[in-house]
Amino acid sequence: MASRREFLQVGIAALALPISASAALSPRAAPLESAPDATPLYKVIFDERFAQSIAFGARAQSLGLPVYSIRGDITDLWFHDLDAQWKMSPIAIGGLTAPGALFCLERLAWDHGMRVVFRGDHRFLPGGSIEHTFTGPESVVHRAAGLHDNAENWTASVATLVAHIPTVRSATAKATVRTRAAASAGRASEDLISWVIAPVAGARIIRKA
Amino acid sequence: MRVPPGVSSEDFSAALQQFEEAVGKEWVFTSDEDLAMYRDAYSPFWGEPDELVASAAVASDGVEQVQKVVRIANAHKIPIYPISTGKNLGYGGSAPVYSGSVVLDLKRMNRIIEVNERNACCLVEPGVSYFDLYRYIQEKGIKLWVDVPDPGWGSPVGNSLDRGGGYLLKQFRNHFDSHCGMEVVLANGEVIRTGMGALPGSQTWQQYKSGFGPWIDGIFSQSNFGVVTKMGFWMLPAPDSYLVGTVTVPHYNDLIPLIDILGYLENTGCTNGMPFFGSPLLARGPLGEGGPVPDAELTALLDRDQGPDPDAMDAYAAKKGIPHWNCTVSFYGGPKANQGNWEFAQEKFSAIPGAKFSFGGAYKLPLAPDVQAKFNLPEFGIPSLQMFSIGARSDTNPTPGNGHIWFSPIIPRTGEAVFEANRVFRQAAKELGLPFPPFSLPTCYWERAFIFLFGFPITHDVETNKKNRAAFKRLVAMAAEHGWGEYRTAPAYQAAVMNTYSFNNHALLHLHETLKDAVDPNGILSAGRYGIWPKHLREGAQA
Repeated sequence: MASRREFLQVGIAALALPISASAALSPRAAPLESAPDATPLYKVIFDERFAQSIAFGARAQSLGLPVYSIRGDITDLWFHDLDAQWKMSPIAIGGLTAPGALFCLERLAWDHGMRVVFRGDHRFLPGGSIEHTFTGPESVVHRAAGLHDNAENWTASVATLVAHIPTVRSATAKATVRTRAAASAGRASEDLISWVIAPVAGARIIRKA
Repeated sequence: MRVPPGVSSEDFSAALQQFEEAVGKEWVFTSDEDLAMYRDAYSPFWGEPDELVASAAVASDGVEQVQKVVRIANAHKIPIYPISTGKNLGYGGSAPVYSGSVVLDLKRMNRIIEVNERNACCLVEPGVSYFDLYRYIQEKGIKLWVDVPDPGWGSPVGNSLDRGGGYLLKQFRNHFDSHCGMEVVLANGEVIRTGMGALPGSQTWQQYKSGFGPWIDGIFSQSNFGVVTKMGFWMLPAPDSYLVGTVTVPHYNDLIPLIDILGYLENTGCTNGMPFFGSPLLARGPLGEGGPVPDAELTALLDRDQGPDPDAMDAYAAKKGIPHWNCTVSFYGGPKANQGNWEFAQEKFSAIPGAKFSFGGAYKLPLAPDVQAKFNLPEFGIPSLQMFSIGARSDTNPTPGNGHIWFSPIIPRTGEAVFEANRVFRQAAKELGLPFPPFSLPTCYWERAFIFLFGFPITHDVETNKKNRAAFKRLVAMAAEHGWGEYRTAPAYQAAVMNTYSFNNHALLHLHETLKDAVDPNGILSAGRYGIWPKHLREGAQA
């Protein structure tokens, strides 16, 4: 276990939203190690503008997940891909992006019975540390406590978390961890969000093909 | 279960059951999780007891179901709040003005009924988004453009009924003006069609706007007199080419003739694209993005109580070697016509001493994919969500918020008005502790007036939001004192804005209320929208 990490808060929220696992795994993704019940991800999104997000994408790709890069704007991804895909068959996606991308994708996903089932808010604090607040399945959030304070690893760790969101979840938990930021963080530090949007059984679906 | 105000639990339960019978059980939503989808993401009351929320939502699939829902609501006096795609962010989103209303979600009504290429028009349902219509046109190879707002995920029906605007030629940019004909379900469940749609068998419903008798369409915009279930729009035949050029003028007061000459060129049809004003020396975007950061000397010049001294500004600009203003004009049409019009525009702008011109290029349309990245896609009828990446933290935006509300008064289309608006709002921003750009230039959505756009940040901090709400209302009042009225606003401010349109002791509002009482006596439709409250809520009405 890494030293100097700080586990600030754990809360157990109320109940569960079981994820619908009806969507098929992307044929290009290799099976994930030790993750028989992981939510299959159709795409993992990373933002080329941020070194941390690029590293996240690289890790996701090394895990066999199909990745897609944006430069802040999700229009092409949605219009040329997700819109048609989600009308046929809602399927989960994940990412590490700036807030605007998640804001759009979350709202577009609502009409297809999909919700954010995992979220990590990664705030760059003055003084060079990063505060990570995770909300999601209890097992995933507890795993997040294993984040190392080596900045180069936090994005890889988050990619691993995103890749292993269970299809059937128990209680929702929330936890906050701090790590230190890398000296070479690329462009000006940006608050980023890691997330998984997935179909949720019983959620309202308004738009269909 | 949340119950609408003034409705008993028994009545509400009965109504919900009847809604389910009308539209199907799966299309009636009452769980907290589903209703969270209808929260206004940019609510200035986020997380507070006064935040506007829905008690339920009903998603209808067509005009017959809308009629049934409306009749049920009338019978039980349930307040309902129709939305199209619910993306009216910055102006209220999908949350009802009368908190606790049942949202009537029209998203399932997403049929594109007709796109007529020959007559360059379309007829759509309220659940059709700009993206849907654009995809339809692209897939069928129809050579028409739709004028889109930014972002483009809203609906033509919703956006035009709230009188939103776009980026193409001036006759299309005002989205309500470019509509032609509508179908409306009234509060008693009756269906009407306006314009030529009222003549059975007419083939001109989307060609001739006013039909016969009073042109009634306007009362269904920014109001609560009916549920619009179909709407026609005029579209732009795909132009052959596009040309863009910029005129730059050196001196502070040059803004006055710059705007006047632009007005001449636009009103005579010379330049037909949306013009954009900029300042190499001063200006930043409406959300504070881009542009130069002023130094202390420039800030002092701008902070002068009477407004900047033109001579002092000119001396500063000369020292920096930077001109004050530019205006980008564009032309859509045949390449020879565009070139000719650009030459004529330069001739006219040359009346301003020191005016310089730069040619931005002439492009065959549609734009090649590798060229599209250079442009703001809505100016080519292409919807986009790119603006959601603008709010990211940057050197010029160190504390991005959780959205924005637009302060958007209409000001006269003159340079003098732009100077005065900047003086007044800069002073106001200082008094109210708000950020204000060095200089704010107007936007040209409307062909005969300017709109002055200022993004008010929304946060999830209760105290900050309270302060900002008070500041917004103060700005609305100050603008009205100068004869500048909001063109559109979020529900939190609709009554306050309507209150400023007070000619002859608020005679206009009284007329709205008279109409409301006549067409919706039980006051079930969108109570409070744009300050129009039904009778039973006016006595002891909400502020």
